[in-house]
Amino acid sequence: MIMLKLQRNLADLALPIAMALLCIIFTIAEPAFLSFGNLSGILRQVALTGIMAIFMTYVIMTGGIDLSVGPVMALAGLAAYAVYYGTGLPVGFAILFGLSVGMVVGTINGFAIAAFGLPPIIVTLGMLSIVRGFALLMGGPDLHQVRDEPFYTFLGNGRILELPVSVWIFFGLAALMFSVEKRTSFGLMISSIGDNMRAVFLSGRSVTKTVCMVYVLSGMGAAVAGMLLSSQVHTASATYGEFGVELDVIAAVVLGGTSLMGGKGSVIRTVFGVLLLGVINNGLNILNVPVDQQLMVKGVIIVAALAVSEWAQRVKSGR
Amino acid sequence: MSGEILLETREVSKRFGNFVALKSASIAVTAGKVIGFVGSNGAGKSTLIKVITGAHAPSSGSVHVRGKEVHKADPALMRALGVACIYQHSSLVATLSVIENVFLGREMRGRLGLVSHKAQRVQLQEIMDDFGIHVDPDVLVSTLTPVKQKEVEILKALVANADVILMDEPTAWLSLSEVSNLHTTIRKLTAANKGVVYISHVLDEVFQICDDITILRDGTMAWTGPEADIDRPKLVNLMVGEALGEASRAAVTSERRPRGTGTVKLATDKLSKQGVFHDVTFEVNAGEILCFAGLIGSRRSEVVKCLFGDDKPTSGTIISKGGVKTFGSPAEAIANGICLVPEDRHTEGLCLSHTTFENTVIPSLVEVTNRGVLMRKDMDAMCTRQITSLNILPPDPAKVVGQMSGGNQQKVLLGKWIEKDPEVLILDEPTVGVDVGAKAEIYAIIRKLRDEGAAVIVVSSDLEEVMTIADRILVFSNGEITTEFDAGEVTNDLLIHAIGGGESA
Repeated sequence: MIMLKLQRNLADLALPIAMALLCIIFTIAEPAFLSFGNLSGILRQVALTGIMAIFMTYVIMTGGIDLSVGPVMALAGLAAYAVYYGTGLPVGFAILFGLSVGMVVGTINGFAIAAFGLPPIIVTLGMLSIVRGFALLMGGPDLHQVRDEPFYTFLGNGRILELPVSVWIFFGLAALMFSVEKRTSFGLMISSIGDNMRAVFLSGRSVTKTVCMVYVLSGMGAAVAGMLLSSQVHTASATYGEFGVELDVIAAVVLGGTSLMGGKGSVIRTVFGVLLLGVINNGLNILNVPVDQQLMVKGVIIVAALAVSEWAQRVKSGR
Repeated sequence: MSGEILLETREVSKRFGNFVALKSASIAVTAGKVIGFVGSNGAGKSTLIKVITGAHAPSSGSVHVRGKEVHKADPALMRALGVACIYQHSSLVATLSVIENVFLGREMRGRLGLVSHKAQRVQLQEIMDDFGIHVDPDVLVSTLTPVKQKEVEILKALVANADVILMDEPTAWLSLSEVSNLHTTIRKLTAANKGVVYISHVLDEVFQICDDITILRDGTMAWTGPEADIDRPKLVNLMVGEALGEASRAAVTSERRPRGTGTVKLATDKLSKQGVFHDVTFEVNAGEILCFAGLIGSRRSEVVKCLFGDDKPTSGTIISKGGVKTFGSPAEAIANGICLVPEDRHTEGLCLSHTTFENTVIPSLVEVTNRGVLMRKDMDAMCTRQITSLNILPPDPAKVVGQMSGGNQQKVLLGKWIEKDPEVLILDEPTVGVDVGAKAEIYAIIRKLRDEGAAVIVVSSDLEEVMTIADRILVFSNGEITTEFDAGEVTNDLLIHAIGGGESA
C-alpha cells in the first residue's frame, strides 16, 4: 500500500528527487558545488531563461508554442536603448517602451493564431525571422553601450539581500504567475483551452481573448529577459537572443512536465525544470567536462528525465 | 466446426490493488454463435474484454483458445491466436484506402521485401467473396459511411485470420438501417463458423442478434445462458438491480405534456442553411420536451448548432425572448438562456483531462469570479450541488472526467449547464454510450428540468429514447420537418414509418 502511494506520488516528485540526487552527486565530486556563491551563480544564470519559460508555460498549456522569443530579447534591449539615448526621456519610459515592443510582437502572434486559427509554430517561426530582421534594421551590426544609467545597470547587475536582482524578478514573476494560474479564471481558461478548445468555446467563453493574451505575455516576458540581458552586458545589440534560446526555454518547460499537447502543466513545474537544467550545466562545468561532452550529456539527461516522468505518469493513472 | 468452443475463460478474476474488477468469470465463445455481454458501466465488461484480448493479465483463472491454455497472454499473442477486437471508436486510418487499412501492419511482401499489392488484392477479393462483404478496396476510408467502416474493420480482422471477433458498442454511431446491415454481416460471420462477442448498451439489438447472453454486474456474472431463456424486464433487473429497473420502466409510462405551459420559449421561422436544411419552423414551450427524431444524417445537429450560435443560418429567423435574434457565438445564445449539450461529449463537451470541479464551473466563470479571481467557496458549493443532485459517481470533485464512465461524464456535462439555469436546454443524443441505469437517471434529470419550467429539445436517433421521454415529436428528414406528433398519440410503428418514410425521398 505504501509502495503504491509512493509510486502514485512519484510523478509529482520525480523532478525534485532527480535534482536532489544530482546535487548530492555533484557535491560529493566537488564540495564547492554547495557554496552560496556557486548556488546563487546558478540562479543568476538561469534567471533569464526562467523568466521566458514562465510565460512559455502558459503558451504551451494552451497547446501552442512561441518560437519568436529570442529576437524579441534583442529588439526590446534596442528599443529601450533607443528611447533612453534618442529622446532623453527618463529610464522608466525606456523600460516601458521595451516592454511594449515585446507585447506588440506578442499581440500580432496572438491575433494571427487566435483570430485566424493559424498554426502557432508557423506564425511564431515567421515572427522569429521578421523580428530579427527588424532588430538588425534598427540596431545594425554594432554593439550599443548602455553604461551610464545606474538604475538600468542595477537591474542586471545589482543585488538585493545577496541575490542578484534578476533572480528576484524571476522568482517574483514565477510566484505571481503561479497564483494567476491557480487562482484566476484566466488560469483555468488556459489549461482548459489546451485540453479541449472546442468545449470551452461551446461553453460560451471567449477563447480568442485568452489565447491572444498568452502570446502577449510571452512577448512581454521575452522583453523583460532581453532588457535584463542588455543591462548585464552593458550593451544592446541586434544579435542577442541568438538561435537556440527558444529551444532552451521550451526544454525547461517540457522538462518540468508541461505537456506539449497542451492542457496539462504548471508554472511551478517549469521553475523546477529551469533549475534542473541550471544544476546540470553548472555541475558539468565544475567537473570540468569538455563542452562537446556536456552537450551530449545534457541531451541524454533531458530525454531520460522525460522518460522517467512519463513512466511515473502512467503508473499514476494506472495504465 | 460449428459448436466448437473457440475461446474460453475459466474462473477468471482481476484485481487492481484492493479493488476487484472481475470475479471468477467463466464464459465460452462458440463457433457459429453470437454471445452478448451486457452490464452497466463498471460492471466488469471492459475488464473481461481486456483479459480476452490480452491487454490485462488475469489475477487468477485461465484463458483457453481451442481448449489449450494460453500462458503469458499479450495483445500480439492473442491476435496471433485469432482473437480480434473492434472498438467503439474506429481504429482505422481515415486518410488511407480500404485495402491499405486492411493490410496495415501485416502487408504481404514480395521479392526485395516490397509490398505486393497484387497478392493483397487477390486475398482481399477472396475474403470479400467468401463472406459476402463488399467494399471498394481503393476508396479512402474517410469517404465511407460509419457502417462501411465497421465492415472494413471486420475485413481487417478476417485478413488477420481471426476466429473470435469482439465488437464493443459497434452500433453507437449507426442509424437504424445501418444497424440491420451490420447484423446481416455478423450473421455471415457466424455462418462461416466465426465466434462473435457483441457488447452493447442497446438491449433491443442484444435480443435481436445474440444467441447467448452473459450479464455482468459489479464484477460478477449475474446470469448467463441462451437468449431465449430471458426476457427484457428480467435482464434489466439483473443488470441494474430491482430499484433502477423499476425506475426505467416507470419512465416509459410517465405522463406526457405536449406544449407544456403554452409559453413559447424559442421559435424559428423558415430557418434555412443553404444546402443543409430548409424551412425549419417550430416552437418549443416552457415545460415540454420536444424531440427531434430522424435518421442519422437528417441534419438535426446542424439545426441545433444554428440555434446555439455555433453556426449561422443563411435565411429565416430565430425568435427568443420575444424578439428576432441572431446569435454570433454560443456566448450570445447562452446569454439568451439557451444551452446545448453537444452530441460528442469527448470532442465538444468536456475537458477530459480536467476534473469534475473544473468542468462544472467553466460556463459559470463570470459568476464565480470577483475581478477575475476565482471564489473557491462558490465553486465548491456549485460543484457539490451538482454532484449531489445528479448523483455523479465517484462523488469526488477532483476526479478527472476522462477516467469516468460515459453516464457520469454525461451527468457532469448536464450539471455544468444546469448551473446556468437554462430556459431552453438542447440535448443532442444525450445517452449515446450510456448504460441503462444512468440512462434512467438522465431521463429523470431531463424531466425534472422540464417540470421546473425549462423548454427542452432532445435530438435523438434512438427510437426507444424518443418514445420514453418525448412530450412532442418532430420528425426530420433530409433537413426538413416532415411530421409532427403528440407523444401520447403515437405508436412505435407509426413513428418508425414516419422516420423511414423520409428515407426514400
